[in-house]
Amino acid sequence: MSTEISQAEIDAIYPQVAEIVADALGCDEDEVKPDSSLINDLDAESIDFLDIVFRLEQEFKVKIPRGKAMEEARGELSEEEFEQGGIVTDAGLAKIKTYLAEIPADRIADPLKSAEIPKLFTTETFCKMVVREQKG
Amino acid sequence: MSDHFRAFSFVDRILSDKQGKAIVGQYQIPDLIRKFPMSLVAESIGQCAAMSSMAAVNFKHRPVAGIASVVEFCGCARPGDILKLEVSLTRADEEAVAYSGVAWVGDKPVAKLSNCLGPMVLMEDFDNPVAVRKRYQLLVDSGAEPDAFGGVESVDFESVEKSDGEREGQFTVPHEAAFFGDHFPRRPVFPGTLLMDLKLKFVADLIVDLEGGPWTVVGMQDVKLRSFMPPGELLELSGKVDKIDGEQASILVQSRKGKRRNSSARVMLEKKIL
Repeated sequence: MSTEISQAEIDAIYPQVAEIVADALGCDEDEVKPDSSLINDLDAESIDFLDIVFRLEQEFKVKIPRGKAMEEARGELSEEEFEQGGIVTDAGLAKIKTYLAEIPADRIADPLKSAEIPKLFTTETFCKMVVREQKG
Repeated sequence: MSDHFRAFSFVDRILSDKQGKAIVGQYQIPDLIRKFPMSLVAESIGQCAAMSSMAAVNFKHRPVAGIASVVEFCGCARPGDILKLEVSLTRADEEAVAYSGVAWVGDKPVAKLSNCLGPMVLMEDFDNPVAVRKRYQLLVDSGAEPDAFGGVESVDFESVEKSDGEREGQFTVPHEAAFFGDHFPRRPVFPGTLLMDLKLKFVADLIVDLEGGPWTVVGMQDVKLRSFMPPGELLELSGKVDKIDGEQASILVQSRKGKRRNSSARVMLEKKIL
């Protein structure tokens, strides 16, 4: 299975994903940008993440398994290799930066608490989740 | 007497349950209460889904109110009526329950819920897992005694006209109420369906004043509860006309705690008399 995702693949679904994010968060579509942090910029709560994933699954006829993003971000690292005491390890941080390549490096704190990872998720992150499932 | 399984429980028999897939339940609305709001009919559908989903995860988790994409009020339920509750679940795991359901009185549907999603929380944080499991078994085996519910106290709210087609106000979640003993014993929170009922009352004046009427509330859409409402919490309310399109209209109603949006819903209106 190819995990490479092209910008064209993201662009193809971005309008639908942005509409879903705007609907779920009750904001104007203009406020939703590819690099908007859903939590920091758009005030999303955990229920909104569930809502967005639920809507994406219905719209794109894919199944996005629970914890899929974290699992993919971790790659081949074990949980212990990825985080220790709630803090992402150096190896884990490198994985995060690769997996969330769309996120500017200066937004990723070092040290990074694992509980803070969802704050990094952007609209584009959700586009990539959908594309991965479509390709998978 | 404990309020647990009495003050805010609206399933008194489980007729069949394919755990996490489909459940049919029943609730007899007590004769002696004055009225049974449609929001509580919606609650009974949700509680039926909750029973099946809790059984599916071995009572380690329980769902709480989250999202209802579409709530249709298509009839009336009166004291003395028996609600038949039919729910199909598309998901029931440690993260969420997803379901749709219908409440029937006789051969007529009175309320329908579509595409609902409830996040799961740890049961032991909210309720006694052993007691809930025992309650489930009672409902499956012989059913619970009807007439446990004695009605809910109405919650006061303030409402003022902000501009034409727009109102704002506030309310405080009661510090004490019988329903907190049931919702939930270990962590009392204001039920989302009572907020739904309060919102319907809050927008009543907007509906009366809305041009082109008379309008009838036929349901709600995009109902979302984003955070818990503990006893004593002050919430601000806002309602504004969202759309008027021929025979249909909608009003967007939200609650906020400070700057953070706590809940939102669209009240759907039609030019018809139920």
